[in-house]
Amino acid sequence: MSYNASFERLPISACFDLKGAENALVEWIGAEILPGFPTEANRRRSADGLSLDHVGPRHWLLHADIDREDELNAALRPHLAPAEVSIVRISDTMTTFRVAGADVAHVLAIGCPLDLHETAFPEDAVTFTEFFGQKALVRRCAGGFDVSVEQSYGDMMEDCLTRALR
Amino acid sequence: MMLIPCPFCGHRNESEFAYGGPVKPDRPDPHAASDEDWVDWLTTVPNPLGPVEERWWHVKGCGTWLTIWRDTRTHCVVEGSGDAG
Repeated sequence: MSYNASFERLPISACFDLKGAENALVEWIGAEILPGFPTEANRRRSADGLSLDHVGPRHWLLHADIDREDELNAALRPHLAPAEVSIVRISDTMTTFRVAGADVAHVLAIGCPLDLHETAFPEDAVTFTEFFGQKALVRRCAGGFDVSVEQSYGDMMEDCLTRALR
Repeated sequence: MMLIPCPFCGHRNESEFAYGGPVKPDRPDPHAASDEDWVDWLTTVPNPLGPVEERWWHVKGCGTWLTIWRDTRTHCVVEGSGDAG
């Protein structure tokens, strides 16, 4: 029996790792650039093509299309950031798989221990967890989930997903 | 399977965590402690039949280090974490 689901490897997108106190980050970056901080842990806030994921204590990930990477890099000035905050461009460190289809929940359940029902993991939920044994960032997308892993595990994940979908 | 309460993420599967060892008592003053006490602190791992205080690292999650009390007879977390860092 095979599952009614499919996956694709998404092209690279811009991603910046932000660490530090919220007010220190706002002071350095400027509130007008960010889409606003999510008010809850493991939630995403999106606006104007940017999204900010609250993935840990004093830890956020800022995502955008790759076309905006240079613009964001100029605005965030990672190389000049004060000691209170850490800003690192990590666009090329992650590779993302989009898994979608009617049976997507079954496929995710093979590799991920999280409760991904909509009541426990709503539309704006995002979190680091494990996927086929590796650390992975999981979030919802239209019709399924986006799963990002460290890029060196990309081929392994592709193989695992291919086997899971059989 | 054990569900470990992370102060940031809530209850998560133990496979997302790395064991950080038991919580040890404060390090004794090596100049004041007897050889027996020093060796005991350095090498003896608490192994009670019952609750033991342990450190865990949410390495595949939010990165938080936390402390829990786990009952070695049942694997139940009898007291959750209060600290995050």
